[in-house]
This record gives sequence, C-alpha cells and structure tokens, in this order.
Amino acid sequence: MTIKSGYFKKHLHVNLTKRSAKRLELSDAFIEKYIGGRGFGAKLVWDNLKKHKFKIDPLGPKNLLVIAAGPLTGVYLPSSGKCSFAAISPATGLYGDSSAGGSFGVELRQTGIDVLSIDGRAKELSILFMDNEETEIISMPELKGKTCLEAEGIILERLGTHCVHVAAIGIAGENLVRFACVNTDWSRNAGRTGIGAIMGSKNLKAVVVRGHMDLPVYDIKKQVVEADKAYKYMEEHKYFKLWQQQGLMNVIEYANEKGILPTYNFRDTVFSRHAKINGTEMVDHYKIGDSACFACSMCCGNICLVKNGKYTGTVTEGPEYESCAMLGSNLGVDNFAAILSANSLCDELGIDTISTGNLIGAVIEGYELGILSLSDIDNQEISWGDEDAILHLISKIANRQGIGDILSDGSRRIIEKWPEMEKILLHVKGLEQSAYDSRAGISMGLSYATSDIGAHHTRAWTIAKEMEEGQNWSDEEKVDIVIYHQTLRPLFDMLGVCRLPWIELGLNERHYENFYRYVTGRNASLEELLDCSKDIYDLTRLINTSLGTSRKDDTLPYKVYARPALTGPNAGKVINRDDFQKLLSIYYKKRGWDNNGLPPDSVKKKFEN
Amino acid sequence: MSKKLTVIPEQCSGCKICEIVCSIKHFGVNNPKKAAIRVIVTYPHPVMRMPVVCGHCKVPTCVEVCPVDALCRSDGLVKLDKNTCISCYKCIEACPFGAIYAHEDCEHPIQCDMCGGDPECVKKCPKGALRLIPEAALGESKRLNNVLSYTQMKEIEFYEKGEKKIIHYAEIGKEEL
Repeated sequence: MTIKSGYFKKHLHVNLTKRSAKRLELSDAFIEKYIGGRGFGAKLVWDNLKKHKFKIDPLGPKNLLVIAAGPLTGVYLPSSGKCSFAAISPATGLYGDSSAGGSFGVELRQTGIDVLSIDGRAKELSILFMDNEETEIISMPELKGKTCLEAEGIILERLGTHCVHVAAIGIAGENLVRFACVNTDWSRNAGRTGIGAIMGSKNLKAVVVRGHMDLPVYDIKKQVVEADKAYKYMEEHKYFKLWQQQGLMNVIEYANEKGILPTYNFRDTVFSRHAKINGTEMVDHYKIGDSACFACSMCCGNICLVKNGKYTGTVTEGPEYESCAMLGSNLGVDNFAAILSANSLCDELGIDTISTGNLIGAVIEGYELGILSLSDIDNQEISWGDEDAILHLISKIANRQGIGDILSDGSRRIIEKWPEMEKILLHVKGLEQSAYDSRAGISMGLSYATSDIGAHHTRAWTIAKEMEEGQNWSDEEKVDIVIYHQTLRPLFDMLGVCRLPWIELGLNERHYENFYRYVTGRNASLEELLDCSKDIYDLTRLINTSLGTSRKDDTLPYKVYARPALTGPNAGKVINRDDFQKLLSIYYKKRGWDNNGLPPDSVKKKFEN
Repeated sequence: MSKKLTVIPEQCSGCKICEIVCSIKHFGVNNPKKAAIRVIVTYPHPVMRMPVVCGHCKVPTCVEVCPVDALCRSDGLVKLDKNTCISCYKCIEACPFGAIYAHEDCEHPIQCDMCGGDPECVKKCPKGALRLIPEAALGESKRLNNVLSYTQMKEIEFYEKGEKKIIHYAEIGKEEL
C-alpha cells in the first residue's frame, strides 16, 4: 500500500548565493524509501555529494544543509517535536546529523514542507524567514556577534511578532567553530557534528519559521486512540514521575553507580562528589520549573536558577546528563551552580557541551602531564575543578582566542599540533566521545567506532544492557545488539519523534508502527520500517566510505585500549585491541560490508535514483 | 457551569498537548494553531510557561463589544452564535487576555466552549496545570502560599530510628518589619 497522507510532499530548496527559493515535489517512491528526518537528510546529502563529484568543503558554499522533520512530527503522540539537521560535518569531514527537540520542527512542517535544504552563501549575515508559503532571505548584519538569545530577541523585534520559532547560531557558529551547534527554543540544540558552523559558513544566522497549516493525517481517530494508549502507558510507568522531576539528570547517579561516568577526562569512571552534581541536588536547590518538547508528557527539561553565590541569577534550561557530566565530573567540577553557568554559556555562545567538555578535559590533563606547556595555554593556569579558568576557556573557544583557536577546530587539529595529545583525547573520526565510558562494555566501544557520525551514543546505547546482562553474551550477540540499536534508534530520527519514551519508559516500538500507519495510511510493518532504517545506515556508510573512511577509521580512542579507569566497579578494565578487531570483522560481515568496511556495489545501486 | 477552567502556570511544562488536543476535538485536525488555548512561553527573564484560555468572565468585554450580539453569556459560559457572527474580530481585540483566536481556514473566531463541561485540555494535561475548580474554591492555593510567605519558615533536622528527617515550622512574627 502506498502513501495516502502524512506528508506535504514538498521540498523547499534555498540557494543563499542566488537568493532563490524553489518548492520541489517529492515523489511517493522517495517518501516511502527515505521516510523523513534523517532519511531525507542522508539522501539529499548523498545526491549533493555526487553532484559535486565528492569534493565538498564542509564549510564551503557547496555543502548542503538539510533540515527535515518526520511524518510524525507535530502530531498528537508522545514527544513528537523532533527535527533533524544533516550535512557533511565540519568536525569529521564525513556525514553528520544532529536532532533538536522543542517545537521548531513542528512549526517548520506547518509551513507546508517536509524538508528544507540550503546551500550557497549569503553576501552578508542574513536570516531565512519562512512565513507559511512565503520565503524571504533578510539581511541582518546587526546580528553579528550576538548570542543565540540576543539574536532571537532582535529577530522577533524586527519581524514584529513573538509567535515564530527560531533556530539560531551563536558567536561560535559565526566563527566556524567545528562543534558549533544550532539553538532552538532557548536551549534545545542540534548539538553535535558542527551544524552551527555550517550555518555560519553560509552567513546564515538563523532560520525562522511560522506556519499555520494542518498536519496531514490519514486516520485521525485511530491516531488519537493509539496516542492516548501510549500516554497512559507512560503515565503509569514506575519511573514516570522521576523523569518529570529530574529528567535526564537522574542518569548521573546511575552512571556513577555503574562506573561509566566520565571523570577527570575519562581517567576515572566514578566521581567521589557525585552527590553534589546529581538530580537530587538539582531538584533540591536549583530547579524552578519543568520544560517539555512538543507533545511530551515526560518533560525531561529542567529550568534551573542559581539563587545565591557568585553565579546568582544564572537561569537556564538544563543541564541534562551529558552536559552535566562533561562540564561537571569530567572536569572535576563539583559545584552545580558552576556547571549551570558553563552550560548556559555554551548555549549562549552556541557550542556543543559534549565536545567542549572533552576538549577542556584534555587540556587540563595535557597540562598536568606536561604535554602542554604554560605558554601553550596562554600563561593561564588551569586545573581540575578550576571553575573560572574553565568558563574563561569556553569563551576563548567560541571567540577563537589563543589556545581556543586551536581547540575550536576540534580533536584532529589539536593532535596535529601536539601529537602526544592523541593519548588523552577521546574522539572517533574527529567527533569527541559522549559521556558514557565504553571500557566496561565492548559493545559500546563497537557502537562508537561504527557510528556514522563519530563517537556519539545516539546510534546505539548498549552500555547499560551489556553491564546488566552481558556477562555471557557471545561475540555474535554483542554485534547483533549494536546493529539492532543502530537500526531502531535512527528510525525515531526518521519519523521525527524522540526515542526517550521507548528507551527510558519502555513504550513498545509497535506503537510507532501503528502511528506511522495511521498517519500515512501506508501499511508498513515495523520490520519494513527497520529495513528502511538499515538502508539509511548503509547510505551514510556509503557517504563516509566515498569520502575515504575504511576499517582503519573505525577505531577507538587510545585511552579506551590502554588506560584503565583507576577506581570504581570497572577499575582496571580496557578493551583489548584483538577482541575489538574480531568484533569489527563480525560486524562488517553481518552488515554485508567487505572486510575493509566498504559496502558492496549493490548498495550503491540502491541509491542511484 | 459552576466550575472554572483554571490555569496553574507553575505546573506548566510548555508541552502544548492542550493545544493539539483542542484542535483535534474541535476541528478534527492536528494543528496547534487551531486551538482555543495557547501556551505562551517566555525566557530567560522571566521564565514563564502559561496557557492562555477564555476565562468566561462574568462581565465579558468581548460580549460588550460585539456589534451584532453574536456573543452572549449563559449557563456560566460565554457562547458564540456562529450564525450571527460576522467575523469582524472585535472580540479578539477586546479580550484583555488575548484568549480568543483566529485562523485563516476558520470562518469564525476560535473561542473556548469548555467541551460541554468536560474540557479535553484538562483531561490530557500531563502536569495538572489545567484544572476545573469550583468558583468557591478559586484562589485557595494562592491564599495558602500567601500565608506561608507571611511567616518565616524554619527547618530542623533530626534523627528518628537512625534516619535523617526534616520538619518545617513557622516562626511567626520574627520577620524584619
């Protein structure tokens, strides 16, 4: 059965050089094969790569930025506010995508399109304003040097409305920091892979959307019944209240207990002062309100305010687990107010908290070990838990000052300059590692090494399962679970919904099969959707291998092989190189790729049209 | 209708479920822009998330300004007679809360009808930020908060069977005058 509804079947392409905007039709075949969100992103990025003969500078005008919500985005069902941003990443030089929550994606769809793509470069700093079916490129050089929030304020004033959604970049994006993010709805960021720098390179300060259109749904009655069932299931879950109260911050305690919490630049995996930065501390002393993405009952966002001390008045949405761990325990900071302040600063400047936390951690450790001299770090001492120095370094990164200029180009540039840093920097393919240690779970290592965007946990998060029940897993099982996650989790990004109801509250994935069916009228089973998702993984692999990736790049940071955590339940553990290579071979085989990690020609044929 | 649809902004997370269920109930579509309730979000100073919805005022300005008497108040609700309404939107301008809405697809203003006494938004709000409260009980939580803020709260830690506990008590009259 074919697509009957669920899409506008429209693709808006904007060329900033020519200042042109074209509405193109999307064919049913395209929609069925790529579904939406990340699927559309990967396909359009691939087509653009082919068009330019695989020669694209991520920060050049030819790089195509694709912003796409999914068929379920904005529809009444749990957490349907997601939107994907995809392009060739300036952090890795390979395929990159990142998704943002909030309501930006919903409003984007309501302008009557399924996907927006942008290339070219505006002459001066501009914004793209999509007002229902009208598209306008407005020059706003006055936005130069403004933070994400300041820019949003100026834009609202200029447009004379507060009923729009803004996806803006900060100073870091303008300065082409390779891990700059795109900020929507105050603090819902498309954080990873440097999408913000791509917007900066295009002189595009913000994309502003205002849409009024009905979202197409095939069978609204069934959709509502199914959604009510899903919401009810979530509400009755034993951890539902905990999620409303603490959001992702409850993971700090869990990660510390299991020994996977990054501490002192992953030198350790338990943090003795974890109680000062965990969810309970936040709720007791800082939290002043909840914040949720569109149609989400879990409201994992926490609005926090510092009420006393030197950071008084800092108010931000967050931090969530990753930010708190990377800017907290990973830097030895045990003052929650300082973490909030750092998080807020990162949001305002528009840089990714995960990469930032990693790089600053490496600088502190590098200086401690003598790899970096005092003059390397601009004669400003820095040590674990030194809040002032850390905050200062964050600004230096975004403004490209001193050592910040080198850090802002990411891990690869740092290693180029100081080869010894290879031993303490945690990155895969140039993207810094997320806040889950992998030394205790080789499946998590495999997940980082084979993730299409670099060392990020979004594709497969297997560490918890492996530690809880993985003692007797065979190698085959370890690979299977990584591939299963890498297939199911991206499906959420394709449908345009958040995966937290599924992964955290155990909402059955069959609900999404039904949602897709009721929204689009297409009778596809979950298995068929997963096949589509698997194809997209092949496609992103194809993009990466076409750009030179092979087995040698699917590797792990030096520390993971050679430097065990010092204390905690996983003290002494590392991943054995031979074990890992064995696993990798099984992985390629199960994927149907050759032993060097290259997909066969049959894969290429699939994506020719 | 003796109960009032009441908003408790401190509880609101800004998820907009109220908007989407309202549009589904009244127009049969997924479109938050066709709802009679809208969540207004402001940040960072001040941080607010607050649904704005018709309060069915006892002295409704919208009724007063309607040039064709399409709006009237009966059974405790402000009601819109769509046959009389000329969609001049005077009511939207007159409402002091901005709680009446319009959409280009809709012939008439969009105004809350309380879903016949069982509002969808109240039922589906995951945070309890929207409630139906009898008029006689309106303001009770504010009164309690006011009383509590008038006194100075003290905190005492103590141990009961080895377990740490905290009690709060009010020290009345100790605040600086």
